[in-house]
Formats: sequence, structure tokens, C-alpha cells
Amino acid sequence: MPAWSDFEPFIVSGLALGGVYALSGVGLVVLYRATGVLNLAFGAIGAMGALIAWSLIQAGVPGWISWLACVAFGGAVTLGYGIIFGPALAKRDPLVKAVATIGLTLILYGLMDLLWTTSGGEARSLTLPSDNGGFSVGQIQVNWTQVIALAAGVVLTVGTGLFLRYTKLGTAMRAMANDREITATLGVPVRRVEAAAWLGCGVLAGIAGVLLADLVALDATTLTFLVISSLAAVLIARLRSITITFVAAIVIGLLHDLLTPITSLTNYRDMTPFVLAAAALLVMPRSQVMAQSREEA
Amino acid sequence: MGADLGLRETPGRQAGRRRPGRPQLIRIATITVLLLFVLFGFPQLLSLYYIDTMTQVAVYSMVTLALGVLVGWVGLVSLGQVAVLAIGAWVAARLLFATTQPYPVVLLEAGLITMAAGVLIGLPALRLRGLYLALITLMFAGAITVVLATLNFPNGGHGFTGYNGSLVHIPPIRRPSVAGSDPAYFRYAVIVAILMFLLVLAHIKTKPGRAWAAIRQSEPAALAAGINTTLYKLWAFALASFITGVAGGVLAGAVHYLYSIGFPTQDSITLLAVTLMGGVYSMWGAVVAALLYQFLPALLNNWGVSADWLTILFGLGVLQVLTTAPAGLADQVPKDLARLGRLLSRRFRSPAPGKTT
Repeated sequence: MPAWSDFEPFIVSGLALGGVYALSGVGLVVLYRATGVLNLAFGAIGAMGALIAWSLIQAGVPGWISWLACVAFGGAVTLGYGIIFGPALAKRDPLVKAVATIGLTLILYGLMDLLWTTSGGEARSLTLPSDNGGFSVGQIQVNWTQVIALAAGVVLTVGTGLFLRYTKLGTAMRAMANDREITATLGVPVRRVEAAAWLGCGVLAGIAGVLLADLVALDATTLTFLVISSLAAVLIARLRSITITFVAAIVIGLLHDLLTPITSLTNYRDMTPFVLAAAALLVMPRSQVMAQSREEA
Repeated sequence: MGADLGLRETPGRQAGRRRPGRPQLIRIATITVLLLFVLFGFPQLLSLYYIDTMTQVAVYSMVTLALGVLVGWVGLVSLGQVAVLAIGAWVAARLLFATTQPYPVVLLEAGLITMAAGVLIGLPALRLRGLYLALITLMFAGAITVVLATLNFPNGGHGFTGYNGSLVHIPPIRRPSVAGSDPAYFRYAVIVAILMFLLVLAHIKTKPGRAWAAIRQSEPAALAAGINTTLYKLWAFALASFITGVAGGVLAGAVHYLYSIGFPTQDSITLLAVTLMGGVYSMWGAVVAALLYQFLPALLNNWGVSADWLTILFGLGVLQVLTTAPAGLADQVPKDLARLGRLLSRRFRSPAPGKTT
């Protein structure tokens, strides 16, 4: 068993990772609640945004414009998909809607492989200026990117909670989560509310893309499938509570990184989301099936 | 509530034990002739490159068949089927190196062990709605990729994993004694695939098929009708895992050497895409899907076109299938051909201008 001091740096990196997973998870839950779509393309959208940002920086564009471009790309692609395929699939089962986003994932994945070929062995990296500054707590070095990542997770979770509770648009989203048809009858412009949810989810995908490209790696496959960690958090929260999503995401990020110094488990640390989600499913009561099907009927 | 991808007739309807009528006899005869041509014509006509490709098509037609049963008949979506295939291949390779059992026995064992693993994964998720199963299988695919990267495939070493990193001369995974050459192994794979198709046919024509159809259309209604939904969902998942495990065993012998990078997470997703494109409501769909998944890349590779275009095409295909053509290519192409035929015949019969529309 490694000494405690071996774990210390991984607490910081784990919290930062958990923060980004939380941010992604909140984006996924809000979109799911408002439109019934679980966006499996979330990771691919962020990945392509990050690669675009990388190309812009290589071309000499200032950093902040490139990062904004990544966020804008995320918003535009997600909104575009939502406008084209959202209404066409609105009345279908959530499972069908989720599978449809796999189509978007494959399109983006193919494009990324085509435009930013990795087979040449070219390693890319996206670094934020906040990597250089920082402070230390005791023995632990903390850089500003890690602070930003955790803070973004916290702020977005709290902010989204307040937004859903107190604004008109947020109330409309919560109403649509309960019943789309009745909400439409009450005069809520459902298409516009859905579009807002799509845009929000896409912007979060872009932000997550930039942060993860810096914290983890700028690689199409890695970033595309990092969404699995956020999906595990969302699943533990049963696709509804953003508070549980946040806690689960932090736990997943933290546990994943804390396993790093343990020699016997370090190779298996990427299994953390699967193990935690499977354990959560085991304790989930069966009554969920009936209760949720009544809700969606 | 049912996770049905579209509208279709209940399959249980024609499930009675009628004596085969004339059209059915013709269909069976056609399929037999087609299979005989595949078994004996292909090895004569095709080059070695394409025989190997067609062996892969036979292997993956079992995998897409299994996934098609889950998606089309029960309404369950698995995003981790390539990981299940990897388990089957791993178990088969380990057994082939460790024992001298005949190949069919190894295939059966690989299928059964994979089935046990599949049931273990599916059990927690199957109690809940379909979306949960899709998510947990996607995570499972990610987890298996991690395990395989550490464990590696057996290469003739000793111990539980059978992997020895410092081995200089890696022995190939053996093939059955009756099917040592590539053409012979192609025939062997096709025969195993035929057996698996018959196994599925036996299921969907009888009680499980009817129970699955009921579950697909409405789970609460199926439950109310006295169907043990968890048992039948688990049964379908077990059947799919068994078939995929057997396919993994056939794959092990086909390629001789297995590497963990050959089973990445994204392949599970691509596999679902081609299965949907091929068509999940008929068993022909599985063959079409396997051709899309294995034959098309081989063809493009021969022409020097990047396979990334295929990934993009599959992505578009999924969206097209889900929005407009839920029954996939296996259903769409014959319909379109019939429509084209009608259009052409009308044009030739009444060539008067203005009346063709």
C-alpha cells in the first residue's frame, strides 16, 4: 500500500476531473429531462471542438478565440442536430432517441479520423495558460486549470439548479420533463424550449471538450469515450437529479485518480465508472420500471 | 413505452405449427441452393483475400444476428456486443491452447462461458428500462477494453491468462483438423453460422418469440398478461451472448492470432449501427449487416479509400433508419426494387406522354 503522500496529488487531479464529469453530467441530465434525449454524442462533440481549437491555435489564431470557437462549435452542432432530428423523433421511446445520437457520434468520429489522422503518430496537446500559474496547499501543487475545472462543475450545478427553479425557461423545461403534450397545450413554445436545452447541452459539451483536452489528452477516441464516466454519474442519478449527478461525478473522478498509485489496480482504474454504475443498478429498486413507464406513457 | 423501433406485425401471429405451404417450400429451396452456392461456389470463385473476408462476414453475421434478436425481437439495445465477442474469443483461445478438445466442444464451451458472463452483466440492468441496459453495456464495453489491454489474449503462455510477453515464436491458434485451409475454414464458419441461425429460428417460432414480441410492444402489458418479463429478457440476453461467444470461438481460429487492440469500444457502436442499417426485423438483415461491416471495408481497402468514409456513412445510416426506414436495408431494398420495377413496367406499357405520372 503506497503512503498517503502518494495519494495527495491525485486528490487534486481527481477533483478536477470530477468537476468536468459533473459539468458534462448536468448538461446530459438537463437535455434528457427537457427533451427525453440522452445525448451519447456529447463526448464526440467536445472532442471535435477541441480539435478545431487546436487547429486554430496552430494557424496562429489567439487562444481565447480558439476556445470560444470550440464552445461555439459544440453549441452549433448540438443545436443543429436538435432542430433537425428532435421533432422527428419527439414521440419515440427514449432508447430510440439515444440510439439516434449514436449516428451523430459516428459521423463526428469518422470526420475526426479523416481530418485529424492519428495514425501518423502525431501527438497533439491543448494547453490552457492557466496550467502555468497556481498555488500549493501543504505539499500539493494545484494549478489554475484544475481550480477552474472543479469550480465550473460546482458553479454549473448550482447555477443550473437555480435556473430550473426560478426562471421562466427553467420552469418550462421542468414542465416538459413531466409532460410534453400538456406543456404545449398550456402555451409553452416547446420547440423553442427544446432548442434552448440543446444549445445549453452543446455549449457544455464544448467547455468540457476544452477542459478535458487539457486535463486528460487531446485524442479523438479518448475524448469521445470519456463521456462514459459522465454517463455513469447520470445513470447513478437515475437520469433525473442534478445533485446526485454532481456527487456521483466527483466520486467517480476522485476514485479513478486515487487508484493510480495502487500498483495492482492502476491498470484497471478506467473501469471505475462501470463498476460504480453496475453497483448502483443492483441496489436500485425494481419499482422504478413501473413508476417511470407510467410517467412516460 | 415499448422500445419498438417502428411499426411491424406481431411475429407470433404466424407461429402456429402449419404444414409448409407451396411458397414456403420454394423459399426453403431457394435458400438451400443459395447456401450450397456459398459453400461450394465461393471457394472456387473468390481470391484468398475475399475468402478470408467472407469468413469474417460469416463470423460477424452471427454477432449481428444476436444483436438483431435483442434489438428487433425484444427491444433491448446492447452497446457492448464487440466486448462480448472478445470474451468469447478469449475463452476459446485459452481453451484451444490449454486442451486438445475437439473444436466444436471448444465452441460450445466458449458460448456457454460467454453466456454466463453476459447474464451476469445483464442481470442488474434488465430489471430496469431499456435505456439503462444500453448504458451499462456501453460502460461494459469500455471496461472490457481496459481489462483486455492489461490481460492480453492468450498466446500459448502458461498460467490463467495464458499470455507470455517475452515469447519469441508465438504459436497460432489451432483450427479444427477438418478445416485447416482457408477455404475449408470458410465452409466451417458458414456451417456454424447456419446452425446459429437455425437456433434463433427455433426460438422466434415458439414460445420465447411470442413472449419477446409482447415485451417489445409493452412491458407493463406483457407483465400484466402473466409473462415473466425479466426471465424472458434475460433469456434473450443469454441467447445473444451464447451466439456471440460461439462467433468469438470461430473468429479465434479464423485469424490465428488475437490482439486486444482488435476489439475497441467504438466497434461495439459501429456494430449496432450496421445491425440497424441491415435491418433488425428479419434474419436477412443480419447477413446484410455483416456484409456492410466486413465486406465493404475490405472492398474499400482494395480500392484505397479510407474506411472513415464508411464510419460517416454508418452514422448517416443510423439516423436514416431511425427516422424513415425502421426495418433497414433488408426490408427497404426489395421494396424499392419492386417500386422501381412497377415504375419501369408502367413506363414501358403506356408510353403515352403525360400519363406516366
